[in-house]
Amino acid sequence: MEALLNTGSTIDEGRLAKGGSKYTDDYTKECAVCWMCAEDFTSLGCPEKVAVISRDRKYSVAVTPKVTEAMRTGQVFIPRSIWANVVVEPDTFSTGSPRYKGSPVFVEPTDDEILSAEEVVMKMYMGGK
Amino acid sequence: MVYKNIICPVCGGSCDDVQVNLDKENGTIDVQNACKMGNAKFQEVVSHHRLLKPTIRENGKVKDVSWDEALEMAADILVNAKKPFFFLGSETSCEAQEVGLHIAEYLGGMADSNATICHGPTVMGIQESGMVGATAGQAKNRADMIVYWGVNALESMPRHMSRYGVFPRGYWTKRGRFDRTMVTVDPRVTPTAAAADLHLQLNPNSDYELLSAMFTILNGKEPHPSVEEITGIPISVMKQTVEMMKESNFVAIYVGLGVSSSYGKHRNIEIALNFVKEMNNYTKCNIGALRGHCNVAGFNQLASYLYGYPFGLDFTKGYPRYNPGETTCVDLLREKDVDAAFVMSADLMDHIPADSAQYLADIPMICLDIAPCPSTTAADVVLPGVIDAMECDGTFYRLDNVPVYFEPFTDSPFSETKSNEDTLKQLFAKVKAKKEA
Repeated sequence: MEALLNTGSTIDEGRLAKGGSKYTDDYTKECAVCWMCAEDFTSLGCPEKVAVISRDRKYSVAVTPKVTEAMRTGQVFIPRSIWANVVVEPDTFSTGSPRYKGSPVFVEPTDDEILSAEEVVMKMYMGGK
Repeated sequence: MVYKNIICPVCGGSCDDVQVNLDKENGTIDVQNACKMGNAKFQEVVSHHRLLKPTIRENGKVKDVSWDEALEMAADILVNAKKPFFFLGSETSCEAQEVGLHIAEYLGGMADSNATICHGPTVMGIQESGMVGATAGQAKNRADMIVYWGVNALESMPRHMSRYGVFPRGYWTKRGRFDRTMVTVDPRVTPTAAAADLHLQLNPNSDYELLSAMFTILNGKEPHPSVEEITGIPISVMKQTVEMMKESNFVAIYVGLGVSSSYGKHRNIEIALNFVKEMNNYTKCNIGALRGHCNVAGFNQLASYLYGYPFGLDFTKGYPRYNPGETTCVDLLREKDVDAAFVMSADLMDHIPADSAQYLADIPMICLDIAPCPSTTAADVVLPGVIDAMECDGTFYRLDNVPVYFEPFTDSPFSETKSNEDTLKQLFAKVKAKKEA
C-alpha cells in the first residue's frame, strides 16, 4: 500500500524521550507503531506487524499497526522517533529540514522483528557493530 | 527543600512556575505544575540511568575514562578533522551554544542546531517576507481567536493552551476559553483538533494551496474550484474561516512543523506570513512558531547576533556563510561533507533520516548528553551533561523569542564541571592548546 507518512509528537513519546527512557520497552511500544485507518488495515489483511518502507525501497522498518479514527485512508502516522526517521524522505528541498510530514512510503505486512531503538542504531546504522 | 518559580527546560514554552521539592537524602523529587514531559525531565536529576562517567570507544569497546582523558580524545578528534561539524542542541543554554559556535569558528568547521530540523524553514520564510509577531503574553491578553496550524499543541507543548493560547483569562479575554474561538488545521484528528471549535482536516502537503485559496478569498476573489479536491476543504468552510478571522478583535496563529516540514516548506510559511500581513488590513493578526525544543529559538537568536545567520553556519572559508541545503546538518551528513561531529544536548541520531544517521555513525563523534540514547550509543566519546535550569544557571529563549534567565535549584553532580558551558570552555582550551602546539 502506498501512503503518506506523517510524524509528530505524542505526549507519551515526549514523556519517555525527555525522561531518558529511549531504551525501554515502553518507548518501543509507544513509538514503533504505525497509526492507520481501519480501511487500510483491512486492505493489508489485518497483519500483526507491518513494514514501513521508504519510497526508494532502500530502508524498511518493522512496526506494530494501530487502528485509529484519527487517520484517513492513504495516510499513516508514526510518533516522532528513530523508527519514523528511518523512512523519512532525506531530501530537504534546500531548507535543511527533511520531510517529517508527508513523506511517501510503502506499507506492507511483514514478519520482521520489531527492533528496539538501540538495535536500530546498532544493526541499521552501525552495521551490526 | 521546596523551590518555587523554577523554569522548565523541556519545550519552547519555558514554563516559569514549576515547584520542586528535592529530597537529596532519599533521592526523590516531587514536581508540581509541570506537564508530563516536564515532570519526566525533572526526574532525571535523581534517575538511575543518568550518565555520570565519561566514556570512550576503543577498539570497538566502550570503557569509562577520566574527564581529562575524554576531553583529550574529544579535542584530538576535532583538531584532526578537516571539516568538523558542531551540532549545538537546544536542551542547553545560549551560553553553552555560544562557546560551541566559537569552537566551530576557530576550527573552520560547520555549526548547526535543532533550529534547522525544527523550524528552519519557518525562519527562512520569515527572511522572505518578514513577520507580524507578538509575545505570548500579548496573545494571552488580547487574542479572541486562536489558530493552531499544523501543530498538535496539546502533545508537543502541553501547557501552551492553558498558559497562553486558549484557556487563560486575559485582560481583554476575561472569560478565558469562553471568550475565544479555537481553530485547528491538521490532517489528523489530534487531541488539539478534538478540542477546537473548528477543525480543517486538510489533505497532507496541501497547506500552500489552502493558504493561497484563503488569501484569494481575503482579497475578495473566488478561488479556483479545484482547490477543494486538492485540500479536501470546501470553499464555503474556507470563507467561513476567513470571515471568523476578520470579525475577531485579535487573531493569534501558531504554526508547527505541519506547515514548515511538509511539501512547500518555507514557501508555506512565506504565504502564511503574507496572509497575516494582509489580514491586518481588517483586524489585528499575528503569527508565531510553536517551538518544540527547549532553547531552539535561542540558537537562532545567538547565531544571528554573532554571525548574521540563524542556522547552518559554515566557517570553512574563515568567515561565516549560510546556504540552507548545503551547510545544514541533514544535508552535510547525507552528502558526507564533514569528517567528525560534536553533538551536544540533542539526540541527533534519533532525529535525522537514515542516510544521514548512517554517516553520522561512521565518522568520529563526540556526544554530550545526560542519558543513554541512540547518539551516545554511536559516539566515540561521551561527555556527561549538566541539566540546565536544574543544576546550573543560564539563558533560554522562549517560543516567542523572549529571553528567560534561569537559576538552578541544585548543583552539578560533577566536581569536574559546573555546566555544559564550563565543559565546552575546557574543551576549547584543549583544542586551542593542540592547535597551537
